[in-house]
Amino acid sequence: MEDLLVDARWLEPPEPLERTLEALERLLPQQRLRLLIHRDPIMLYSILRDWGYTWQTETKDDGSFEIMIWREPKVWREPESNGS
Amino acid sequence: MNPSGLSLDQAPPISAPLRFFLTAPLFAILAAMLLAWNGPAIFTSRWNAPLLATTHLITLGFLGLVVFGALLQMLPVIAGTPTRHPKRVAAITHGLVTPGTLLLAAGLAFSNALFIKTAMLFLAAGLAYFTVIVMSNLNRALPGNITVITMRFAVLALGITAVLGLILASNHAWGWWLVLRMPVTNLHLTWGLIGWLGTLVTGVAFQVVPMFQLTPQYPESLREWLAILLFCLLALWSGSLIVNGGSPNATGVTANTLLVGGGGLFAVITLYLQAKRRRKLPDVTLSFWRFGMLSVLAASGLWLAGEFYPAFGGSDRFGPLLGIVLIAGFAMSVVNGMLYKIVPFLVWFHLQSLKLGMGNVPNMREILPEHCTRLQMWLHFVAVFLLIISALGAPLIFYLAAFAFGISNLWLWFNILSAYRLFRRLSRGKTKPVSNELASS
Repeated sequence: MEDLLVDARWLEPPEPLERTLEALERLLPQQRLRLLIHRDPIMLYSILRDWGYTWQTETKDDGSFEIMIWREPKVWREPESNGS
Repeated sequence: MNPSGLSLDQAPPISAPLRFFLTAPLFAILAAMLLAWNGPAIFTSRWNAPLLATTHLITLGFLGLVVFGALLQMLPVIAGTPTRHPKRVAAITHGLVTPGTLLLAAGLAFSNALFIKTAMLFLAAGLAYFTVIVMSNLNRALPGNITVITMRFAVLALGITAVLGLILASNHAWGWWLVLRMPVTNLHLTWGLIGWLGTLVTGVAFQVVPMFQLTPQYPESLREWLAILLFCLLALWSGSLIVNGGSPNATGVTANTLLVGGGGLFAVITLYLQAKRRRKLPDVTLSFWRFGMLSVLAASGLWLAGEFYPAFGGSDRFGPLLGIVLIAGFAMSVVNGMLYKIVPFLVWFHLQSLKLGMGNVPNMREILPEHCTRLQMWLHFVAVFLLIISALGAPLIFYLAAFAFGISNLWLWFNILSAYRLFRRLSRGKTKPVSNELASS
């Protein structure tokens, strides 16, 4: 499935956060969100943790960040059978 | 856990900072009324009692309250842990500083010793309580964080300002013979405006200018050393002033000149970074900051002119003029601009956290439309210019200046109130579609 792209580079806060949260609501199961952003979004990580998402941050050569966000199916769908 | 809302673990309830933000402009309106009531003669000397009252309505009432509210909001983020009992801390600080400031202003304006004595109790308790809360929160932060170090210096300067202020207030209340009244006053206002407010603004600027205005970062060395340097120069100048009985020696003059130069350098760097911002879109907060930085440069120029031309520096109108440029031109502009980022963000953030059953949360521009904030900004700029012209000796302009200043702050109050009322309405009627709510507002 194709990744959902949010390009939030050089948008004024909290627009990157607004766009990311709005995209997460549209995200289909098994789909990943690819977020491009000009700074490390510290505030987003605590929200992602609260909402049960997993993410991976990569620093690009130009100093910007690419963050892949997805939901671990096991953790989300069968919380009782997974102790983590 | 609320799967469709933000985590509120670290944020105080919206009422905690908002009670400060909603009270602050009322003090500025009161200041405008006091100006108009006293007439143009108020600017003839910095020692005029009604002018001292007006100044404290602005510095303690407007600037102090906004900064206290904003700090309560920022502390959990800076310290990395939530403030304990944020509602209680906000209620106690606000409940002590608000009546304390009103009593102090009334005591100074009407030469009422009982009011000043009572004000001293409220303000000493309120400022001491707030300082202890902030310091204990900062102690829980990770060591070596430059924002934390900057905040510590700022709060220490607030403590020094408060102690010096209490000495001066006791002199007004009891009428005891204070030989060094003039140097103590200069120490009080310099520690307040440069030590407390200046350090705080630079510390905040290092974070928010690159983040919100999408500029390059400030130079690393400036971020690391500015607060420490400001504090050391202030201490050096203060020491020289005290040891030499009120007139600083060569070391003190050098420290003072470096302080002024440091302020000017910070303003130039900020303006340069703002000119290099990524997106050249107009923004009200950016314009407020630019006006504030230009005011710092104007104040630095005025101070230097006063040093080189003693006839100008020693004139009665010099003090009020410098005060208007620094307090209304710099401090109020920067704080007003920041309010237009903080208030809509808080409303948006808290609505996002409550969004169960709601449609989309309104964005920042819908919460506080730019046409409302932009017009208020222009009115503030006009008010500052008119105040400067009045202070130079134009009595006919004076009432217009006081009127513009009052209306500008009434408008600011209304803008903050309308954002808060939107929050109240949407947070109560969670099931109503937001678009309808916005259309009807």
